Amino acid sequence: MLYRTAGQFKTSYRTDQALFPIRQDAFLLGVILICAWVVFPLTASEFTFQTLLTPILIYSLAALGLNILTGFAGQLSLGTGAFMGVGAYACYKMVTLMPWLNPVVAILLSGVFSAGVGVMFGIPSLRIKGFYLAIATLAAQFFLVWLFEKWAWLYNYNASGAIQVPNLDIFGLYVAGPQASSMTQYYVVLTIVSLLTYLAINLTRGNLGRTWKATRDMDIAAELIGINLMRSKLTAFAVSSYIVGVAGALFVFMWRGAAEPNLFDIPLSFRVLFIAIIGGLGSILGNYLGAILIVGLPVVLNTVPRALGIEVESALLEHLNIMIVGSLIIFFLIIEPHGLNALWRLIREKLIIWPFPH
Amino acid sequence: MKTFTKLAMAGALSLGLAAPVFAEGIYTPNLSYRTGPFAATGIPLMNGQADYMAMLNARDGGIGGVPIDFDECETGYSTEKGVECYERTKAQAVVTQPWSTGITLQVLPKTNTDNIPILAPGYGFSPMANGKVFQWAFNPPASYWDAASMIMQYIAGGDMGSLSGKKIVLLHLDHPFGKEPIPVLEAMAAEYGFELVPIPVGLKEMQNQSAQWLQIRRERPDNVVMWGWGAMNAGAITEAVKTKYPMDQFIGVWWAGHDEDLKQVGADGKGYKSISWSMPQPDAPVMADIKTHVVDAGLSQQEDLNSVFYQRGLVISMILAEGIKAAQDNFGKGEINAEELRWGLENLDISAERLEELGMTGMVPPFKTSCSDHTGHSGGWMLEWDGEKFVQASDLLMADAAFIAPLEEEKSAEYAEANAPWPMNEACE
Repeated sequence: MLYRTAGQFKTSYRTDQALFPIRQDAFLLGVILICAWVVFPLTASEFTFQTLLTPILIYSLAALGLNILTGFAGQLSLGTGAFMGVGAYACYKMVTLMPWLNPVVAILLSGVFSAGVGVMFGIPSLRIKGFYLAIATLAAQFFLVWLFEKWAWLYNYNASGAIQVPNLDIFGLYVAGPQASSMTQYYVVLTIVSLLTYLAINLTRGNLGRTWKATRDMDIAAELIGINLMRSKLTAFAVSSYIVGVAGALFVFMWRGAAEPNLFDIPLSFRVLFIAIIGGLGSILGNYLGAILIVGLPVVLNTVPRALGIEVESALLEHLNIMIVGSLIIFFLIIEPHGLNALWRLIREKLIIWPFPH
Repeated sequence: MKTFTKLAMAGALSLGLAAPVFAEGIYTPNLSYRTGPFAATGIPLMNGQADYMAMLNARDGGIGGVPIDFDECETGYSTEKGVECYERTKAQAVVTQPWSTGITLQVLPKTNTDNIPILAPGYGFSPMANGKVFQWAFNPPASYWDAASMIMQYIAGGDMGSLSGKKIVLLHLDHPFGKEPIPVLEAMAAEYGFELVPIPVGLKEMQNQSAQWLQIRRERPDNVVMWGWGAMNAGAITEAVKTKYPMDQFIGVWWAGHDEDLKQVGADGKGYKSISWSMPQPDAPVMADIKTHVVDAGLSQQEDLNSVFYQRGLVISMILAEGIKAAQDNFGKGEINAEELRWGLENLDISAERLEELGMTGMVPPFKTSCSDHTGHSGGWMLEWDGEKFVQASDLLMADAAFIAPLEEEKSAEYAEANAPWPMNEACE
């Protein structure tokens, strides 16, 4: 009923291939966008900005980057955390070497560096596949984190080995560093994330996306129909690492404010990989759903007992939290092994044919 | 579908109700870590902190008649959770106790805009001592640089000239915390002519340090100084025993003096030393009060009341309580706010007489903070493992203030410059 598609006729190829062929989808997206751009910022507290809105967006973006590589092009990567680190350190070096640089430009440029590094570590993917490639990207993970620790130039010879985000402004408005307000940072993140998501949707629908999918589904067949595997795989590495690098720069500059090398270690890579897997490989929406589940839910769960007025010890709460989130992940993967995105697709399909299921 | 709607409704409901319910009194949250890789060292400290406040509430009805709402927010030593806890508690809290150098570094710049004092006793960023730059940060009674200075004095036996030609290995965690003492040790090496060999231990190698100890054997140092935490300490101590490194040449920072780590090696660890600004005093009057009001009332989770870390936890809460009391006395009211507590922490006067009144003589050296000195530089004692417990092995050692102060000045100025515009406290001289 809510999702009835009857009466929505497509009279040209153009309308058939539109971003949202079904009117309700566009409407739903509009509601979400209004929430994200207007309703949340007006109602959210500092706590909500810092622990829910901003981190969920940043993690979604990182997962989106990984999803392009793993979900669309089929190249398994365990080095996401390190590529995020490349973006963060590149951004840090740029803003400290060139303080006049617009911070948003610096963040967008920092992705270029991680794209370069990503392509370099992507070269072995031409010869090795699957789990073996995962091990090769694992090497990138260990090597890069080691580099962040040992190459003192990267953190400006700071005694503690950590990078600290300085105060950065655009036309007098602070966007990064301790002086920046959470709302400004949220809008910067939201703008960049919206922009990159829009690009990613269209990339994956277009020519490049189709070559990636062909490579993923069967590379020999793809080669036989004339797809250049080298180009397909390396562009996937480049685009993916670019997005991941931007996410890394946002991660440190728009949210954390400071970072030590081991922040970018393997737990971060796994966290992003889990978001991508639980959200659904080969999907765009899934990254957001996955990030809400993995990043947002524990924070919300932590506030539940207090809100209900139950006194629970903080350590016990943390243990309960880990158990609940863990079992929810298992639950969702059992009812829909292809992730939350597939679950949403199923629900939507049922809604379209409701109330007459065949 | 119905279940989903219900789940969504429950979620929305809990979000809507997220306005926290607080108990009466002064809210002093602690960013604890009773879970995660560092839990073993965290639990006794957290117990000590909680028990002291519970004792004050039970015995005196709080501080100045106002009960203390001491609460924990679990971080598991993760920086991300730490920031979550900071954001969650900062609206009501009068203080933030970040409990990790990583979280401290993260919240340090924010305190200037949020106007909330950070209390990081014996940890964090050593230049925080400079109260002129770090208005809102406090690390009494001694900083890591003090520790480095005291350890070197102990090795030198009072005559710094005797260090010339010696070789000192710094075995440290490869993490902001472990790198803290390096600037001051390097400056000392240049000044007094000893050779410093820093050997980092990565977070992943904490439990298996055979490579590092092989290097130590090759280097044949006169002393090994350890800046370790959590699983790294037990790893280093067992490895030292295994490679038969002379234990009396092995000295750790105060966080490397955990009873449980040494109980694993028992008598083999005899002679291991750890510098400390706190010392367990089983017969102190305050321990009797803790026993009657907290332990016997079933409010404590601690088993061994005489461990170094538990009693250090008591001292940490005492410092906070004294800060609250100083603020209450000065402003003449019970319910103080964060700004007033800042004044209190800046005007701490833990004299020998005050310690006597508190029944804590000998648990911490007397110290005093001021507008420009947020550390107090109390000095400390060398503790030695006698095979069963830590005992005092030296008189009170004092850090070389003349050596450290210029470094503090320099590094804090660097920090302020990197974070410009950074508000300075011009009221300090």
